[in-house]
Amino acid sequence: MGGEHLSKQYDNDLETLRSAVLRMGGLVEAQIRGAIDAFANGSQSLIDEVIAGESRVDECEVSIDNDCSHIIVKRQPAASDLRLIMAISKTVTDLERIGDEAEKIARMSKQIHERGRADAQHFASIRHAADIALSMLRQALDAFARLDAAHAASVIRQDVAIDTEFRSILRQLITFMMEDPRTISTALEIVWIAKAVERIGDHAKNIAESVIYIVKGTDIRHTKFAQLEGEALR
Amino acid sequence: MNLYARRLLVNRFNLAVSLLAMLFGLFWLGWILFTLFQAGFRALGPDLFSMMTPPPGSSGGLANAIAGSLLMAVAGTLVGTPVGIMAGIYLAEFGNRGWLAPATRFVSDILLSAPSIVIGLFVYEVYIIHTRHFSGWAGTMALALIVIPVVTRTTENMLRLVPDSLREAAAALGAPQWKMIAQVTVRAAKAGIVTGVLLAVARISGETAPLLFTALNNQFWSLNMNAPMANLPVVIFQFAMSPYEDWQQLAWAGALLITLGVLVLNILARVFFRNRTATY
Amino acid sequence: MNAAVLQPTGQAVTHKIRVKNLDFYYGGFQALKNVNLDVPERKVTAFIGPSGCGKSTLLRTFNRIYALYAGHEAKGEVLLDGENILAPGQDLNRLRAKVGMVFQKPTPFPMSIYDNIAFGVRLYESLSPREMGERVEWALRKAALWDEVKDKQKQSGTSLSGGQQQRLCIARAIAVKPEVLLLDEPASALDPISTGRIEELLHELKNDYTIVMVTHNMQQAARVSDYTAYMYLGELVEVGVTDEIFIKPRKKETEDYITGRFG
Repeated sequence: MGGEHLSKQYDNDLETLRSAVLRMGGLVEAQIRGAIDAFANGSQSLIDEVIAGESRVDECEVSIDNDCSHIIVKRQPAASDLRLIMAISKTVTDLERIGDEAEKIARMSKQIHERGRADAQHFASIRHAADIALSMLRQALDAFARLDAAHAASVIRQDVAIDTEFRSILRQLITFMMEDPRTISTALEIVWIAKAVERIGDHAKNIAESVIYIVKGTDIRHTKFAQLEGEALR
Repeated sequence: MNLYARRLLVNRFNLAVSLLAMLFGLFWLGWILFTLFQAGFRALGPDLFSMMTPPPGSSGGLANAIAGSLLMAVAGTLVGTPVGIMAGIYLAEFGNRGWLAPATRFVSDILLSAPSIVIGLFVYEVYIIHTRHFSGWAGTMALALIVIPVVTRTTENMLRLVPDSLREAAAALGAPQWKMIAQVTVRAAKAGIVTGVLLAVARISGETAPLLFTALNNQFWSLNMNAPMANLPVVIFQFAMSPYEDWQQLAWAGALLITLGVLVLNILARVFFRNRTATY
Repeated sequence: MNAAVLQPTGQAVTHKIRVKNLDFYYGGFQALKNVNLDVPERKVTAFIGPSGCGKSTLLRTFNRIYALYAGHEAKGEVLLDGENILAPGQDLNRLRAKVGMVFQKPTPFPMSIYDNIAFGVRLYESLSPREMGERVEWALRKAALWDEVKDKQKQSGTSLSGGQQQRLCIARAIAVKPEVLLLDEPASALDPISTGRIEELLHELKNDYTIVMVTHNMQQAARVSDYTAYMYLGELVEVGVTDEIFIKPRKKETEDYITGRFG
């Protein structure tokens, strides 16, 4: 963003910070994939891996927030630097929550598979929604790395798809529960998993909104979609 | 030997040389003062201040000479100081534009280092020739002409030391220039200006040559400025060159008096200035 | 170049000083190039920029203090309440009584604290001793100095500490009840506590005076001012509401300066 600072140390600090955010993003992506695979095949080791990985995600959040505080105290950032730091702090919170959702998915998968197999068709729709969410996250992080506001706007558009997918899964499961009450526990857990995936999409959308804030300086949280797309492409 | 030891040696050597030079100077000064004290001390007494300069052979004092010197020094200072201060103010505050200021400064500097005998001769030519007699007024004029360049120079220098920020601060309140100068700038330089005046007085107390051609001397008590006036330097000149012992004694006493006076004035000037240096 | 100041929406703002096409020369060197700027009334406007950008020069045209020096020349218009103060025949002393100035280095006069403050007042008003005493007290209170000096008003102004001296200069400037107060890096020679006190003071003073401040310290400009103008090499680059300038400046040059991306 712009040229280099007079202080090389400052540039290094910001670069380190950005890399740390992207690394955390990569970690969280792996968590999601691991959790969804665990849901599909019930692998105990995968589930344990995801649950263990959660503590590393939390450590990242604390460390990056700490670095943000340091930069604020040392450099009193203004304008684009200020927006970058503010956005990073929020992005890191969103990533940590995504990590939490991934862990939840893993835990619930564990319970489902301990109880007995669930219907294969549900795996497909959950996987589909999860793929969208994962793609949104990847694209949001990509937009962050390149500070590309247009790319971020397209991410926000995709959130609608996940909401639609979630509602359709819900309908399927409700039908399922009505047909056979014995499946209610499992079905409910699948609903929570679907909800977790939907939330991952929301958090990815938040990250994209932060990117637009960094680049354009407009805080577009809570605005209507058409307006913000116009904003992003201006 | 190594670098450090060599530097130490050079340092000590130079220090020793400087010390010796200072002691050399002090030595002569000390000897002069000692001789003065030794020779003149005997004549110091109430008589010195109460009796007139006597004819050779009889006892007397320097009362008329002291009075005359004081009178002319005071008068010369009173005439020369205001002129000098005004000139100094002009040079410092208004002297940045035009040609008059550099010319004035140049002339003042020449006058400052002019031999005082030239000044005396000048007053003789311009005033005494026309009035046809020596007088205290002529002496005053000559002394004033010596005071003016000294006071001008010190006033200008002291005013220049006052930082422009003080002038700007006064101007920024809407003060017209004359008020800024009178109430702020001059006040800030007050100590230095007074010191300059004191130094000028010390200078003229010992001047002989100008008085030789203007006030001449007077054996008797006279406070008439229009007539020749007794003064210490000329009395010393006259008495010291005479063959009479009591006259020579009085000459020593006179010399001691002048030296003490100049010493006291210089000390006063330093003490006064030291108290007020850190105004800005 | 940029003209009007951005106004926060919904608020009508009158402009106390309007600068139009101002050029300034130090002898042959042009220090200000075609500056156009409006200074809003009863707000704090800060001038920021690197050394030599002309911010102090611009400030000093507002009370024409440069007229003390030969070779300093201003061309263009500076309108104070609609009247061009650069016009020939302008009464400079009256102008400076209306537009007060506080300098970077505290400059107490060599007189008592009381006289320091009374000096300016005596220039244009004749007050009875009681009224003068009240005015001095009022000025010292406004400058947050009253409590510290009320028992030693006869003491010399130079006996105060640096921070106190600067507040004395501020009291001296406001005692004459100017309409505009110009501050040229007023806190740069002071320690953080004195600086903090003076910044608090400015918050209060802006209710009554239009304040224009030059500062090297960007965080100070961000804290204290309502409007900020960024200058570079004699030109006005950008001017706007302070919060906007510091969070989302419009020009890249402004952004570069604020974030320390120079060179």
